[in-house]
Amino acid sequence: MANPVPSACCVVLAAVVVVYAQRHSQQDSHIQYERVGADVTMKCGSMDWDAAVTWTANGTDIDESHLNGSYLILKNVDLSQSGQYSCYEGSSWHLKYQTYLRVGTPPKEPVLMCRSNNYPKGFYCSWHLPTPTYIPNSFNISVIHGTKDMVCEKDAVPKNRCHIRYLQLFSTVKYKVTLTVTNALGKNFTTLTFDEFAIVKPDPPESVVAKPVPNNPRRLEVSWQNPSSWPDPESFPLKFFLRYRPLILDQWQHVELSDGTSHTITDAYAGKEYIIQVAAKDNDIGTWSDWSVAVHATPWTEEPKHLTTEAQITETTSASTSSFMAPPTTKICDKGAVVGSGAMAVCWTAGLVVAAYSVFFI
Amino acid sequence: MAAAESPSAALRRRDLCSRGIRLAGKMRADVVDLLDAYVEQQGLDASASVAAMEGVPLAAVERWDEQTGTQRLLENLAAYRAFRALLAQMLEEQREQLGEADAGLGRALAAVLLQVSAFAYHLEELLRLESRGIPGEEGDGPPPPPRLSLFEQKLRGLGVLRELAQWAVRSVRDLRQLGKPSSAAGTAPGLAESP
Repeated sequence: MANPVPSACCVVLAAVVVVYAQRHSQQDSHIQYERVGADVTMKCGSMDWDAAVTWTANGTDIDESHLNGSYLILKNVDLSQSGQYSCYEGSSWHLKYQTYLRVGTPPKEPVLMCRSNNYPKGFYCSWHLPTPTYIPNSFNISVIHGTKDMVCEKDAVPKNRCHIRYLQLFSTVKYKVTLTVTNALGKNFTTLTFDEFAIVKPDPPESVVAKPVPNNPRRLEVSWQNPSSWPDPESFPLKFFLRYRPLILDQWQHVELSDGTSHTITDAYAGKEYIIQVAAKDNDIGTWSDWSVAVHATPWTEEPKHLTTEAQITETTSASTSSFMAPPTTKICDKGAVVGSGAMAVCWTAGLVVAAYSVFFI
Repeated sequence: MAAAESPSAALRRRDLCSRGIRLAGKMRADVVDLLDAYVEQQGLDASASVAAMEGVPLAAVERWDEQTGTQRLLENLAAYRAFRALLAQMLEEQREQLGEADAGLGRALAAVLLQVSAFAYHLEELLRLESRGIPGEEGDGPPPPPRLSLFEQKLRGLGVLRELAQWAVRSVRDLRQLGKPSSAAGTAPGLAESP
């Protein structure tokens, strides 16, 4: 037979734990929201005004100068004063009251944006607050098309976004989207009105690749793909805008392309590294996407050949059995005797011509 | 059993669709310009909402992607025939209101009317190609609507041009669907024609 004493102890202990948890959970669950700059008065539960109490903030005793009797007075509260406030009875230190003070602000007018990056399937709206409130906010969005209410389904990620499927296409009736934000200190809202075409904006093109073209020092071959979010490029084709510039210059060159997902740049500066980006737009409606991720490429350049030295040219010409004696080239191409790279080029050319003649007359 | 489209018919269809797309694209650009001029000349607010008016074909459509090629052609044809009559009426009203005071707007209206007529004819060509009967125009159609006030005329004109601009975009999309190699007028996308 089991010993009843340990069982009874367990039961009592469990009961104590439950009561303690209940008492503290009730007290812990009390949250008090106050505006930044407000004056806050906290009462110590049901204690009389003249009762002897001690207040703590996040476990630290609060100076008596903040007390008016048993009331705690916080003037012109700021964000740093958010925290857990507890009130204990005099000498017994029984917890009489506890609250969590959250200092914040009412919401400002929210920023709302709606866009269709997957036309003609639907559109999404996303929002944010221009400044934080420091306390929890809830958002409610309504979408009306003419007289019809539409459901904007919240996305799991990100949380501040919802999407709508188009029930009609090609409608002239505008959509009206109202976003209301509410918190414990106030509410605010904003409204957007737009027509179906105006918000169509694809995502940028994907997988942009730029490659040099062999044996073409002024060409770069660029290719890309339709954004994967665009559901039907065959029926709703995109057009593209390509921009490119050498890294050393600030000015972009632009090319608009009405079809295809590739283009060959033919006027690149030889040997210069280029930066290239592409944007997309529905062929008929809406606005241009943001620019794609930038890619870099440098046109093909010829491998540098082994340069023949002047001594080797002289050796070659004097080894020939020709009766023709080539005049020495070193003097003409003496760096000290000429000025400028143009003159040097002439010297080298003359030297090579003479060498060729010498070989011919072997 | 569905008859397979002959290669030449398919080529002809794609050619007609391509040309139709270009026609509709040009028409839309001109209608948008005309709309801007009309709003300014008539002293209207460009953002004003205009309720749907009787006789003005609405471009809005549900389940657009499920329409068959024939449905697309027939709806387009009915719309552009209606626009032809509406634009002719607008042109008449314009002349009555302003005489020669704004010949530019009148010319622009007339040019769009011509394009609408041409496009309607182009749609008839496509229907003929699909061996579909071309619906007759309703000569004995509904009686003309009651005479509108000047302001109502202006608003209706705004509504007509707005819907026409939407239709031009829809027509481009419709013709692109029709012009797809796998598409034949009688079949819905992904569905075989019933025997």
